[in-house]
Parts: sequence; C-alpha cells; structure tokens
Amino acid sequence: MNKILKLALVLFLVCAVTAGILGGINELTKDRIAEINRLATIAAYSTVLKADGYDLVEADMSDFPTVDKISRATNGAGHVVELTVSGAQGLITIAVGVAPDYTCTGISIIDHSETSGLGANAAAESDVGRNFRAQFVGADESVALSKFGGAIDALSGATITSNAVTTAVATAIRAVMALG
Amino acid sequence: MNIKNQFKEGLITNNPVLVQQIGMCATMAITTTLFNGIGMGLSVLIILTCCNVVISALRKIIPNEIRLAIFVVVIAGFVTIVDLLLQAFIPALSKSLGVFIPLIVVNCIIIGRAEAFCQKNTVGASFFDGIFQGFGYTCVLIIMCVARELLGSGRFGGGLIDVANGFRFTLDGTGSGVQIFPAEYGASILNLPFGGFITLGMLIAVMQYALKKSKKKKELAARLVLEEAERKEAEA
Amino acid sequence: MKNDKLILDVAYQPQERTARNTSSIMLDVIIALIPASVWAVWQFGMKSLILLVVSVCSSVFFEWGYRKLLHKDSSIGDLSAVVTGLMLAMTLPPTAPAWVAVIGCFFAIVIVKQLYGGIGKNFLNPALAGRAFLMASYATIMSSYAVPRSLAKEVDAISMATPLTYMYGGQEVPEFFTLKSVFLGTMPGTLGEVSALLLTIGGIYLIIRKVISWRIPLSFIGTVAVVSLIAGSATMDHGNWMLYNILCGGVILNGFFMATDYVTSPITAKGQIIYGIGCGAITMLIRYFGSFPEGCSYAILIMNLCTWAIDKAFNNRQFGVSREDVKAAKASKKAAKEAAK
Repeated sequence: MNKILKLALVLFLVCAVTAGILGGINELTKDRIAEINRLATIAAYSTVLKADGYDLVEADMSDFPTVDKISRATNGAGHVVELTVSGAQGLITIAVGVAPDYTCTGISIIDHSETSGLGANAAAESDVGRNFRAQFVGADESVALSKFGGAIDALSGATITSNAVTTAVATAIRAVMALG
Repeated sequence: MNIKNQFKEGLITNNPVLVQQIGMCATMAITTTLFNGIGMGLSVLIILTCCNVVISALRKIIPNEIRLAIFVVVIAGFVTIVDLLLQAFIPALSKSLGVFIPLIVVNCIIIGRAEAFCQKNTVGASFFDGIFQGFGYTCVLIIMCVARELLGSGRFGGGLIDVANGFRFTLDGTGSGVQIFPAEYGASILNLPFGGFITLGMLIAVMQYALKKSKKKKELAARLVLEEAERKEAEA
Repeated sequence: MKNDKLILDVAYQPQERTARNTSSIMLDVIIALIPASVWAVWQFGMKSLILLVVSVCSSVFFEWGYRKLLHKDSSIGDLSAVVTGLMLAMTLPPTAPAWVAVIGCFFAIVIVKQLYGGIGKNFLNPALAGRAFLMASYATIMSSYAVPRSLAKEVDAISMATPLTYMYGGQEVPEFFTLKSVFLGTMPGTLGEVSALLLTIGGIYLIIRKVISWRIPLSFIGTVAVVSLIAGSATMDHGNWMLYNILCGGVILNGFFMATDYVTSPITAKGQIIYGIGCGAITMLIRYFGSFPEGCSYAILIMNLCTWAIDKAFNNRQFGVSREDVKAAKASKKAAKEAAK
C-alpha cells in the first residue's frame, strides 16, 4: 500500500510541476497567439470578403456536414463560410464569401493536397488559378460545372477538384441561407 | 563516455534516423522545404536536450514501475511549451509543421533516448547526448529537404532564403528560395509522401553501405597489423 | 547461361528445356512493337521518333551504367532494357520533351529494376512504374496530346483531347472519332496506344510465337468489354460504348504488352486469368470513378503488387499428384484439426 502511495505521489508531483509550468507559459503566450490567429483569419478572409473583422456565428450546422465554421463580417458585407470537402487526392479547405443577397463574393483555397499541375491549379497564384476562382464571383446556390449544365468551366484534367470546389460554393451559400 | 565519441555516435554510427531507424514518420512528412526541416530539427533538438537533462536529473527518484508515465509527462510538457512558443513567435513554422510539432510527444527518438541513455547516465552526458542526437536528426532532415526540394521543384532554401530583393534570410517562412532550375522541370512527385519514402530509403541504403565499407576497412587494417606481427614473430 | 535460368524460373510445372532465352523473347517483343511504333512516327512526326530513340538509348545507358558502377555483369545483351525503353516511350504522349523520357527511364531502370536486383527481381513493371512517376511529376506534359497527321484537316490546334476524355467527361465524342478511326488509330493518344489494329497484330504475333499466353490479354480485355457493356453510358448505346472502351486508351497496348511481363505477372494458368480480370476491373473502376480518364497503367501496377498472393493462392497441383490425393490430404488435415479440438 505504501509503495502505491509513493508511486502516486511521485507521479502527482511531476504532473503538478509540469502543469504549473505549462499554465505559466500559456498565460504568457495566450494573447499573442489569439492576436496572430485573428490577423491570419482576417488575411485569409479579406481576399473573399472585404471587412475589418469577422465574428464567429454560433449555429447548428448538422445539415451541412462539410461546413467547419461561419463568420459574419463586422461591416455587414455578408458571411464567410469555411468548409472542408474531399477533392481528388485529399481534403480541400476552402473559404467562401457570401454576400447578403446570397451570391458568392469570392473563394480562397486555404489548404489542399491536389495533384500539382492539375487539381493544384485551383489554388495556384497563376492566370489559370485566378481565372478559375474568378468564375465563382456572383454565383448563386445553383452554381454547377458546365459539364452538369452550369456556367463554371472545369480546370483541364481536374474535373473532380473543380467539382469539389463548385459543390463547396453551393453548400456555403445554402448554409448562409439556412442561417436566415 | 567521452564527448567526441558521443558526437560521432549521434551524427554517424548511431544516427537516430539512419541507423536506429526511429522517428521516421515526421522525417518523411515534413521534409519538403529547408525551412520546415531546420525548424523541425531544431525543435526536436531543443526538446530532446531539455527532456534528457530533466530525466537524467530525476533518474534516482523516478520509480522504475512508473518511469514511462513520467517520461511521457515530461516530454509532453516540453513539447507543449515549444508548440506554444512557436505559435506565438514563429507562426509560419507552426502552421507549416502543423500536427507534427505536437506529435513529437510520441516521437521515438525522445522516449528512446530517455529509456536507453538518460536513465543510466549523468546529467552532463545526457545533455550532450541530446544535442548530438538532435544534431544528427537535424542533419538528416536537412539532407532530405535539400534533395527533395532541389529535385522536386528545382529550388534551394524554400521559406528560409529570399532573393527577390537581394539575398537575405527570412525567419518568417516567406522566402521564395533560390530557383536553381525552372520548377516545371522538377519531378514534383518528390514533394509528395512517395518522395519522402524513396529519399529516406536511398539515404539509409547509402549509410548502410558506407558503414559496412568502413567496417570492412577497419577489419582489413586489423588483419594486416596482426599478420605483420605474426611475420615478425616468425622471423624472430 | 544465366539467361536460361530465368526461363526456368518463370515457367510453371512441368518444365521443359528449350533453346529460347531472354534475348530471343525480348527480340520478339521488339518486333511485335515495331508496326505500332512506325505508325506513331507516321502520325506524329519526327518528334516521336526522337522520343522513341532517346528513350531506348537512355534506358540501355542506365542499365549499362548501373551494372558497370557496381561491378556487376553487364545485362544489356538480354535486350530487356531496350524493351523497357521502347515500352516507356509507347506510354508517353507525342508532345513530351525528350528529357521527360530520360527521367522516366532512370526511374524505371535504376530504381524499379536494378535496385531490386535487376531482371527477374523487380516487383513492378518498370515501364509502367516509370510512366506513373512521370504522370505524378509532370501531369501537364503527360496529359496533353498532339493532333495526329490524319486529323490535321479536322482539328486546327496543337493539342486535343483523347476520345476517353470526352467519353468520361460526359460529353459526346466528336464525329471524326468513328469506330473505324479509333480501330485504325487516327486519334490522339500516347505513342503506343493509338493503333488498336497494329497492336493487336503485334499481340497475336507474340501469342503465335508462344512468347505470351492468350490468358492475360483475353481476360483483361474481356473484363473491360463485359463491364462497359453492362454499365454503359448515357452518351452512347451499349455496344458502341463497349467497343470504344476497348479501342480507345491503353487497354490493347497494356493487355498484350505490359500486363504480360513475365516477372510481374502470375505464373499459373488460373492465376493469370484472375490477374487479367483484376486488371480489367480496376481499369474500369478508375475510368468510371477515378480522377483520370484512363487507368490501365495504375490497374496493372496494382495487380503487379498482388501477383505474389495470386501465385500463392492459385498454385498448381504438384506434378503427379492427382485431384483425389489433394482431397484426401485436405480431409486428413481437417480431421487432424477436429481431433485436436
């Protein structure tokens, strides 16, 4: 019994000291990290919807499983929806700006692992990539690839990636509509 | 154990990745730019050295039965500290290494050194062991990063070096790197996980080949000395 | 005499000694590929000839250089490197620059073939592995196809989409891709996949010369035919859809020449049929559900990896052991198991 008590005491002490130190470090870095994250969000979101700040919207998104979070622009310019959808090679994280009249104001691909030279063009800072993303500006919730009767031209050789992005935009607009 | 020997062990004869073959997951995953490689290598070096010192200082009071639990708590503590500091001060590195910084908690190199070395050695020896093993790990990461970046996208020093406005080092990960040859000639498959596997495999093969060769050379030298001695004896 | 050993290794029981060796087999494969190569050069011009020559030469050079560097016997005499280079070039689009072929050959010969011990030891088809490497590295180069000479009047462009891209992009196939044109090979594609007719002639030559058996090509192409006939498509009637699926893309080239590679395909008759069916099924899965319009090469690479398991599962009965003996052995094993319980 004594032995177990001793073991527990040693483990407890080590854990307590570690927790104490971590608490201190967390206190020191907390504000800085929050500020960095806020600036990073603004930097990522302002390319799709101009605003000085974005407030996270608390809402039940169980009808839209691909939606990660929705933020409302502080200047009333609309909403930014962040979604994670599956592309051709892996997950694509994408931010979609939605104006109050439920049209898309722009998209930005935050993270992806698509094939370079094909699907990766969707996120590329090249003419091909910019033209592809620009097609979504002004689109409404019925947006679709030209292959399925819509107006969006798919990236050549990357139908699946293009379709994933298009579906994400449509979902984002519907999710904002559901907010009311 | 002297320092020179420890250095040689960490870098070559007992290199964590190439000889002990531990900590390979992160090695393959993050070695896509020099910035990532050096950042990850230094993070591991710092965490490893701190953990080594603390664990070897506590080695007399850590009960044998719960040593693994205590190792994990100490390691997790240091990893979280480094993670928080990176997030606060080098956010670009924290973002591009992503989950692999928190995953250092379960990196075999650190718990492996704690179990195999720090338990039995003094604080001083453990401190140097941490530095040299961490240095050996960093070297492997750098070699892999340079090889994969160069062959995969024709670039050197991505994230770390910026040449757009004169040559300068960028510590925020924004440098574009030095373009050695146009990126479209690079075999971009090397930037994918496959490239990690094949580069690491090649590196391990080269290392084993070199170790075998030097061992053979040593044996040969020893045999020559022996034969010489025998010959002299026979003459006498 | 090293070469004879290889033949004994790949034949299934009972074995028999013949005068054939690796180099004579490889020579047959080269002969069988010549008509399709000539056709490709005629259709796509000098550039494709350069591609073929560079690919073959660099392949042989890497084989020679690696063996020389590691002080091993030279193996370029068995012509297998020539075949690998030729086949790799066959899987490249005509517009591919020559340096792409050199990189592909390096990967195929040095990494896939020689690092695993050279001919007979590689577990993937070197040419296809080289193509997969290039596909993942230079996707843009590898998926733009030149307009063949015979379509120059209809299409005023530098590059055009292959029939498969139209078929699996959900579009109507343009009118100039008639059944006759895809059969004769007046369509865009990789160097070696355009002329179904000439490739089939080459394949039949190999079967007549007993270099390959009919099992893998037939089960491969047959599976593609059955799946496409049943699954169909909205843009075409089922019969035409099936024919286009067989004649366009790499099914014929891969079925006759790539999938039948001795080293990476099963050695038993039953195993070969299962392997062919697997190749066909995966090809169709990739065509219908994958992100690329064509999936032959990946299908074969995947089945290459399964070859050891197929060989194990469909092992032949030992020569001289009858069906009854096998049954008896099984029954006694079962009885022993039950007794142990």
